[in-house]
Amino acid sequence: MKIVKIREDNCIFCHLCEVACIVEHSQSKDIIKAFKREEKPIARCSVEFNYPVSLSVMCRHCDDAPCVEACQNGSMHRDDRGYVVVDADTCVGCWMCIMACPYGVIKRDTRRESWGLSTKCDFCPDREIPACVEACPNEALTLEEI
Amino acid sequence: MKIVIVGNSVAAINAIEAIREKDKISSVAVVSDENYRAYSHPLLPNLVIGEVSRSEDRFYYRRSDFYQKNKVNAILGKRVVKINPKSKTIELDNTEKVEYDKLLLACGGKPAKPPIDGLELEGVHTLTNIKGADKLRKDLKNINHCVVVGAGLIGSKVAEKLAKKKVKVTLVELARRVLFPVLDDKGADFIHKELKRLGVNLILNDSVKALDGSNRVEQVVLNSGKRIKADGVVVAVGVSPNIDLAKDAGLKVDKGVVVNDYMQTSDESIYAAGDVAQAYDVVYGSKRPIPILPLAARQGRTSALNMLGMDVKYKGGFPMNSITIGKTSFISMGIVDSDELEILSFERDGEYRKFLIDEDNRLKGMILVNNVEKAGMFNWMIQNKFDVSWIKDAFLNSDFGWKYFNKAFRVLRLDRKIK
Repeated sequence: MKIVKIREDNCIFCHLCEVACIVEHSQSKDIIKAFKREEKPIARCSVEFNYPVSLSVMCRHCDDAPCVEACQNGSMHRDDRGYVVVDADTCVGCWMCIMACPYGVIKRDTRRESWGLSTKCDFCPDREIPACVEACPNEALTLEEI
Repeated sequence: MKIVIVGNSVAAINAIEAIREKDKISSVAVVSDENYRAYSHPLLPNLVIGEVSRSEDRFYYRRSDFYQKNKVNAILGKRVVKINPKSKTIELDNTEKVEYDKLLLACGGKPAKPPIDGLELEGVHTLTNIKGADKLRKDLKNINHCVVVGAGLIGSKVAEKLAKKKVKVTLVELARRVLFPVLDDKGADFIHKELKRLGVNLILNDSVKALDGSNRVEQVVLNSGKRIKADGVVVAVGVSPNIDLAKDAGLKVDKGVVVNDYMQTSDESIYAAGDVAQAYDVVYGSKRPIPILPLAARQGRTSALNMLGMDVKYKGGFPMNSITIGKTSFISMGIVDSDELEILSFERDGEYRKFLIDEDNRLKGMILVNNVEKAGMFNWMIQNKFDVSWIKDAFLNSDFGWKYFNKAFRVLRLDRKIK
């Protein structure tokens, strides 16, 4: 299975991975609309900076994913491709996946009216190459077999 | 092989999934006295006030085709009355007998009954299954003032939900704070404030002595002598493992069903997993029942793989909880209060962080209030007895993350080279 390999030495702290992720997960998939007119999605990758370190971190799609184990109603599950994804229709925002995730890469979206929503990398189901990898200008994120 | 599972919740379902990943041929039967497909127990308080209904997928633990897809014979609405380890059969309450080669006890817990007079009165509820939730939901129209006994996970949650429904709620807790085992005083204060903001009348350091009423409960009498007028009571003083079946079958039981590192009971054909089992706690270094959902899932998987003869050791777990009351969310795990451990803590602007570290620099527990997103990284450190001497200085930073780790370690972890 391929995952996004993180090459921190190449990271230039440009945040383009986050921008690309936001656009990819927006309704219009248009950068201007996503940032100006729609409710902006939360980026599934996070760029961290602590001089001289910078890197973008996102879900590692574990084989024995603890987030799936901790989910109270099967919302966090493995899809047909083998990647770990959230079913937004059933997620209740209990954050038990966050409690379990050994990489700390699941985020809280608390903007829905009735239920919170766990937000994480879904390995861009509509794309061949994940948006963050494609957007990275310096191969700090690459697509590699694990 | 014939595999029979007693119970139909988290441990059972994960066992089924693990079995079917490896073995498509063995027959699998699930027996439960509850006549529903597996559902999400943490959503029961939401079910009571109608935030979720039984027709919604989100209420259930797996989708409706689960049993069919996994070729499981679901014997629902039948209670197991006896296990005969010698003849390898179980007896159901309709006198039917079911044979097994391997048996998994995943029958969970039952609500603990506190020493209170008048529990049999009308208007007195518990909330550990659908039946209890339905009964309370139907009774809500008769309830104007509800006393919730016990401010544990269920008690605090149901108090919050009922208050949201404009029911007058009094929450009575024996300890000096709510959620006693999973929060310290400072952390609990966040929840106290939330509950008060929601209009919950909080009574700490007191317990219920008796419930008075002729037919329906009318008054709650506390040990302090205080009397509270109430027309509804929810008793939520915890759950205890359902060990009766195992005990009657001659299996070794303690607080829960005693299992070895492979989730096997004292009978080699019988395994136990979930709230009923007494498995290893890596933080305390001893075996005890820890009735939480993620461990039930892991134990269910582990026991299933061992039933198939795969020799998979259960590495142990520890208590962990993620709870939101009102606008406050917290995640805590392991030991949350101690006089002996080194304590790092930080509180500012509605955020609270606390870490408990032993003399060998192993993280033993932690609390995160409101800024919880990195909680799982600490979970990993506790589980793997990670040496935190060189990273603990960064624990109190609100932006704690990968950037604070040693580079070589970070790269190995993120490349999935260290599990």
